[in-house]
Amino acid sequence: MSATALAARRRRRFADSARVYSGVAICALFLFPVLWMVLTSFKQQRDIFTSPPTLWFIPTLQTYTSYLAYSDVPSRMLNTVIVAAGSGLLSLVAGAMAGYALAHIRLRGAATIGTLILMSRGVPPIALAVPLFLVARKLDLTDRHITLILAYCTFLIPYVMWLTRGFFLSLPRELEEAATIDGCSRFGAFFRIIVPISLPSLISTFIFCVILAWEELLFALVLTSRNAVTIPVAVAGIAGDTVTGTNWGALCAVGTITVVPLVVFALLVQKWLIAGLADGATKG
Amino acid sequence: MIANDAFAKLWQTVLVPEFNKHYPHIKVTIDGVPYAQQLTKTLLDLTGANPSYDAICTDDPWTPQLADAGTLLDVRKDAAAWTDPAFDWNDFYKAPLAASEWKGVQYGVPIRSNMLLMFYNRRHYRKAGLADPTPQLTWAQFMAQAPKLVQDLNGDGKINAWAIDTYFARDQLTPTIWQAILNASGGKLLDGENKAAFNTKVGVDTLQTFVDLLKYAPPGAKSHIFNEELQAFRQNQLANMFMWGSVFRGVAIDPKTTTLKEEDVGIQVMPVGSKSAGTHRGIWCGVVSKRTKYPAAAWRFVQWISSKEGERFASSNIGSFPARRSTITGTPSSPWLKPVFAALGQAYEVAEAGQMWRPRLAKSDAVQQVLADEVALATSGDHTPQEALKRAADRIDRMRLK
Amino acid sequence: MSLGALAGGTARRSALSRRWARLADMINRWGFMAPAFILLAAVLAYPILYTVEISFSELDLATFQPSDWVGWDNYLGVLTDDRFWNSLKVTGIYLIFAMPLQMVLGFVIAFLINAQWRGGGVVRALFLIPMVVAPIVAGGLWRMILDPIWGISNYLLGLVGIGPLDWFGNPTLAMAAIVIIDTWRWTPFVTLIATAALLSLPKDVFEAAEIDGANWWVQLRAITLPLLAPVIAAIFVVRWLGAVKMFDIVLASTVGGPGWSTNVVNLFIYQEAFGSMRFAESAAMSVIVLIITMALTAMFLVGTRTLEKRF
Repeated sequence: MSATALAARRRRRFADSARVYSGVAICALFLFPVLWMVLTSFKQQRDIFTSPPTLWFIPTLQTYTSYLAYSDVPSRMLNTVIVAAGSGLLSLVAGAMAGYALAHIRLRGAATIGTLILMSRGVPPIALAVPLFLVARKLDLTDRHITLILAYCTFLIPYVMWLTRGFFLSLPRELEEAATIDGCSRFGAFFRIIVPISLPSLISTFIFCVILAWEELLFALVLTSRNAVTIPVAVAGIAGDTVTGTNWGALCAVGTITVVPLVVFALLVQKWLIAGLADGATKG
Repeated sequence: MIANDAFAKLWQTVLVPEFNKHYPHIKVTIDGVPYAQQLTKTLLDLTGANPSYDAICTDDPWTPQLADAGTLLDVRKDAAAWTDPAFDWNDFYKAPLAASEWKGVQYGVPIRSNMLLMFYNRRHYRKAGLADPTPQLTWAQFMAQAPKLVQDLNGDGKINAWAIDTYFARDQLTPTIWQAILNASGGKLLDGENKAAFNTKVGVDTLQTFVDLLKYAPPGAKSHIFNEELQAFRQNQLANMFMWGSVFRGVAIDPKTTTLKEEDVGIQVMPVGSKSAGTHRGIWCGVVSKRTKYPAAAWRFVQWISSKEGERFASSNIGSFPARRSTITGTPSSPWLKPVFAALGQAYEVAEAGQMWRPRLAKSDAVQQVLADEVALATSGDHTPQEALKRAADRIDRMRLK
Repeated sequence: MSLGALAGGTARRSALSRRWARLADMINRWGFMAPAFILLAAVLAYPILYTVEISFSELDLATFQPSDWVGWDNYLGVLTDDRFWNSLKVTGIYLIFAMPLQMVLGFVIAFLINAQWRGGGVVRALFLIPMVVAPIVAGGLWRMILDPIWGISNYLLGLVGIGPLDWFGNPTLAMAAIVIIDTWRWTPFVTLIATAALLSLPKDVFEAAEIDGANWWVQLRAITLPLLAPVIAAIFVVRWLGAVKMFDIVLASTVGGPGWSTNVVNLFIYQEAFGSMRFAESAAMSVIVLIITMALTAMFLVGTRTLEKRF
């Protein structure tokens, strides 16, 4: 190998690490507010708003221990998990099938319907909340998990459809044709061959659905009252406390607690996440 | 019962068990809803065929809307049979009781009373060489003292204390501060036919006073509402704040939330205008659903909270304020409540005389939002007080309120 | 085995069975579309119809049903309301700044951390956190950080001699704050997809270009951008549909102020409905916003198609 090639490679390696370091530095900047949130969750309320802001405070677990047990956070967390997982799964199945139809099945009018479904995401969510409640009330379905799950489908399904259409477009057509020749029906081909191959992308889509459902507030506020109340409603209650003022410690504690499960989840599946999205996005 | 998320849990864990000592067969479950969505949720629930809630905790301006939607029980007439003979209606101050009255019908009782008051920090007045304010303090005096109260408390050469903070941003409660000044000077929001009556010289002058407060307020005060002023006061950064009386405990007593001590904090009615002192009413009322299957039990609970005994228990155990003359003038359970009750009692009287409350209309919130929109344009400096009030008056008159 | 396959398998030549086969195949094809379509129609159709209906009526709060038909009154009222126009303008300003900023920043960060190294996975996962923090917490958190009196940001800026900046009292800075918070929250989404897209670019093309002596700018313009065009378009449309609906961050940080300077349209509709109980007017505004959004989305989709065809 020539000296110039070696020098070029060395230069490239240096450029690479400089690039990565600066990237990590920017990421760290993005994570600073998160760090501040975690720090604040360990402060007493009177230590939060000192000026200048202080790093020297006596850390307390009080917000976590007293407040969280007191305000139903565990049961609300469970509700959130049920609703997020449920709506994620339902939209994933329905949305992925529709995405597949848009990508691989010739259907007259399907493209128009697909576009319309995508555009339905432009409805201000406020406009949907009250009528959805009226329907739920008529069917005696208020304050149930299933109601929230169905409501969340309104914004998750278009999203899943849009992403999975891209994933499926990137798959080689021959796969499916081979399956059909082997005697599989169209449904059989989809579930036995297409789904297993696209599992990483589908899981990544699922994670994004879960994140969106996890933090949804408006529908949850209107459609639940006792048994199906989710974490964002609790957060809104803490933030809008009109008696003692917002308890920022508690707010940050709940914020921290809600972030942890999703981050662990993302860490576990992040390999799939990257791989999955790459396929869908490039053909989006 | 449906109530504000801020105190629903406390009521469930402290108030309900005490109630059950007296009435063990009535089961009470209180659901909390964040304040911003509470009226919508209440309306949505009560207008259904099978409402889930028997009793409702409603904010001061909501009774007309709920009553006009036909959802509330006339507790004075229809619930008379279930009313304790010892329940003394005349013991209530008139102003808080009137919060749940509409078109001559009494729909409820005050169960968690609150008034807009002036909190002051004695340390700041002492440092500035000023005497503590008294309930006779006028707006002219207040504005004259304000520059001296913007000061450097710790001597490091930087300003770290300001004279005043209150609601200034676009919030439905921001106009109540201006209204307290307006009412204190004899002005009114609406006339007898619900036409705008504030677009007058008094209106403009008092809005100017309100906007002028920003000169003596901390940086960023233009965007401040409830939380920010509360934090600043608790952090010893304010000489005064105009604020709901109920925060007193968190401001002066509870060491977890405040840096101040009981002896630092004074409380009284807002300054005196050309007519009287100022305040603004904020009463949580207990009302009963018309369609409930258990009106007797629901009324029993609401009635108990507002009874002499319930008020005494609530004020000493959960810090909610009473509306009865006997409780206000009696001996409170904790000494720190004494000055608070005195200020409250005076505020009730002042409010009654000057009609210091939000518009009594089914569209009260819509009117309040118009005022919030336009007052915010005055505090942000986009419009002069004259322009802001003219726009607000035009918009309110276009609503053709009945 | 589905009906379609069975019917096709028998393959009798009578017209009846051919028609039957075609029908079965049709059902089979639409079977994929059906669950999504039925679910959405069931959940979404009534609310949208209801919204359109009350936008032409007066709403009776005693039943939450439309009472009197008022024709275009609500629309006229809304269109002559300067607050509505102001909120559209504010939303436009926010989108004009936030969208490009998030797209560019997202891709730049993706480009920077796009290398094989240990810990890359952890950084990418941690970088998701801003997206996961609930909007109300995010808004409040930033309010705490940017506050002129007790915020850490002004304290740090003060150390280097800048400020103090009144982030929430100055209309321009308040809008900047909203853009910053939104960018903080959603850049990770762009980065994530962009990282994936960059990883999937064919390496051999770049190597060939390098041998041909193309510098990085030429590579970027001639190879990377054309290859990424569909991704950029896809992310843009997804992000755009999310950004149009943004209001929770504003609610938790500036509440639309100072004055009306950050009162985005969805916040305004929300406040008119829940704060003022003006549901009919807010329905009319929702319909208008829906139409505008649909028109712009259609424009972007057409643009995407042309872009995809060009490269």
